[in-house]
Amino acid sequence: MTSKQRRKLTEFLFLLPTLLAFVMVIIIPFIYGIFYSFTDWQGTGTFSKMVGLENYKAIFNEPAFLHSFLKTLEFTVINIITVNVVAFIISLLVTSEIRGRNVYRAGFFVPNLIGGIVLGLIWQFIFSNILPAVGSAIGWDLISKSLISNKDTVMFTMVTVNTWQYAGYIMLIYVAAIQSISKSVMEAAEVDGAKYWTRITRIQIPLMANAFTISLFLTLTNSFKMYDVNVALTNGGPVGIFMNKPVNSSELLALNIYQTAFKYNNMAQGQAKAVLFFVVLTIFSIIQVSYNKSKEVEA
Amino acid sequence: MKKVLALVLALAMMLAATSALADIVICQNKVEITAAMQDYAKLYTEKTGVDVKVITGGGSSDYNTVLKAEMQSGREPDIWVIEGPAGYELWKDKIADQTGAEWTQYTAAAYMDGDKVVGFPVAVEGYGLAYNKNILDKAGIDPATLTNFDALKAAFEKLDSMKEELGLDMVVSMVAGTTTGMTWVTGLHNFNVYLTVGNERNDTTYIDQVLEGKVDEERFHQYCQYVALLFQYSTQDMLLNGTQDSQLAAFANGKAAFYHQGNWMDPSLVQLNPDFEIAYAPHAFLHEDTDGILVNPPSWYVVNENGNKDEAIAYLNYLATSEDGADYMVNKAAMVPAFTNVTLAPTTPLSKSVMEWNAAGKTYDWQQYKLPDGFGMGTLGQIYELFAAQAIDVDTFETMMKDAIAGIAK
Repeated sequence: MTSKQRRKLTEFLFLLPTLLAFVMVIIIPFIYGIFYSFTDWQGTGTFSKMVGLENYKAIFNEPAFLHSFLKTLEFTVINIITVNVVAFIISLLVTSEIRGRNVYRAGFFVPNLIGGIVLGLIWQFIFSNILPAVGSAIGWDLISKSLISNKDTVMFTMVTVNTWQYAGYIMLIYVAAIQSISKSVMEAAEVDGAKYWTRITRIQIPLMANAFTISLFLTLTNSFKMYDVNVALTNGGPVGIFMNKPVNSSELLALNIYQTAFKYNNMAQGQAKAVLFFVVLTIFSIIQVSYNKSKEVEA
Repeated sequence: MKKVLALVLALAMMLAATSALADIVICQNKVEITAAMQDYAKLYTEKTGVDVKVITGGGSSDYNTVLKAEMQSGREPDIWVIEGPAGYELWKDKIADQTGAEWTQYTAAAYMDGDKVVGFPVAVEGYGLAYNKNILDKAGIDPATLTNFDALKAAFEKLDSMKEELGLDMVVSMVAGTTTGMTWVTGLHNFNVYLTVGNERNDTTYIDQVLEGKVDEERFHQYCQYVALLFQYSTQDMLLNGTQDSQLAAFANGKAAFYHQGNWMDPSLVQLNPDFEIAYAPHAFLHEDTDGILVNPPSWYVVNENGNKDEAIAYLNYLATSEDGADYMVNKAAMVPAFTNVTLAPTTPLSKSVMEWNAAGKTYDWQQYKLPDGFGMGTLGQIYELFAAQAIDVDTFETMMKDAIAGIAK
């Protein structure tokens, strides 16, 4: 064995435990999952027959799934904008000369350390109990009823909670990017008479385009896969009507898949939805990353 | 050599997580008795040296999900709960035959598969319209007369007109929200009123029709009027935002005259120290008299064929035949035992009322669990919520319900 081969072997052995875990918990279940989506598997024991594309066909005849799909798109678009705008603004704040900026940095990040389920339940209490109490005390009709049980405002509650939780995390990425911009570039711009707004839009934002690529990718996938806050905060409710059928008006795709599989005990159908979900999310992510990549520049 | 050692260590660490948890693992679905059950498990461990672990899923979380996750985890529970034929069919291959076990001679409510005894009745449970006797007395309503739709309607109207005098926020404390995970109250328990009230036990006429996608037009129309009546005399806020706790609190604090829940709420109810007499009135939704509440074993313990089968059966025998077991079931968990050898009578109000109705033989069956998975809580629950939110009127409610039921047959 040459030293080169020996080195290769060592590298492989170091990789092996992780690779093994990855294959066992990601790759194999994934392949199984695709396979089961073509069967009538019920979640226990073995399946009785292959059903071909039946599960996939059924998806497109289901108003609840189409509704979840549209709601997920709506949530994703709104959420990407709010999370990134808020995160960018607070990252500017904590990289400025403001007093106590380290406290702010820690403070904005803390919500991200709380689990989504706990967070959902806390905010549910705020939206369903505290706000209505305040609302009826001061006579503000909009918040005197629970915002969660109103199907027109429920999306707003989910975006609020997710932004509150996630903006602090995205802020860290922006902070790192802002700090990596060389001081000399900024000073040169200032000497040339560029105003604050111009410096941000013409220098900082183009130079930190790679941070936007990452942040947009993270918020896109995070919003698309939103599950924990969804289940704890709204549980998909309240019920609305879509295509003349009752549907859960805040049930996003991940929750819809879960309900199909576990509540309705329709495992194979749920699996088919999950495969479709994977394909759609992959396509969106690739489009987003390649678009953002093309915008990146070197200083 | 060191490299090999490191690799072995890494593999060992990965496998370390699969060791056993306890001698008997029980997966159960009654959140409200979790503490009592864990205390009993500890007591059992002290007496017999057998280690027992209790895993709970239920209430607002979904028991069946928890159970499936446990089953997939590689350490299957030794005892778990089935709620009827759907659960039995799902796990049939794993469920042990308990025919001849000591407990079987003391009960008529075991879950049977032909001649095989397979399920230990957890308890007998019942629900109806629980009422606050003080309030009814003050309003001059005799609960014994509440045996048909017209009597209930008159009583609700009277109470509603005296709301301020009686300190009521609402007449009926009822919940229907998806957000709060309470659609089982409407989609399963209330729907069962349509299925069985007025019928002999084991009469499956209406559930059979529903499973074929059909309803009895006249009876169903009347049932929808009854739902409308209940919703009208509750509040929209309680219906949509009420949780199990707030629904109970409204009743226990004297803010509601009626309460749409079963005797499983007793442990929580007692904690709130209601200072009035409580009993059940029937869900009398027909114009004809129907004098009875809805009673059944809600669930059964089954034993895993591949687990610690003997230990698990010994645990169930002890539960049914020992004084400790009786004390736990009746006093600690406030359940109504399904065993004839247990002489302790429940002291908590709702269970006491169920026991009285049961002893009088005035009961109707539970058949809601024969509905397909998710149909009651999900599909029907959504329609009840739409109606509660006044997004649809009673006629649309009736049509949508019929459409949903017709969808079963497809």
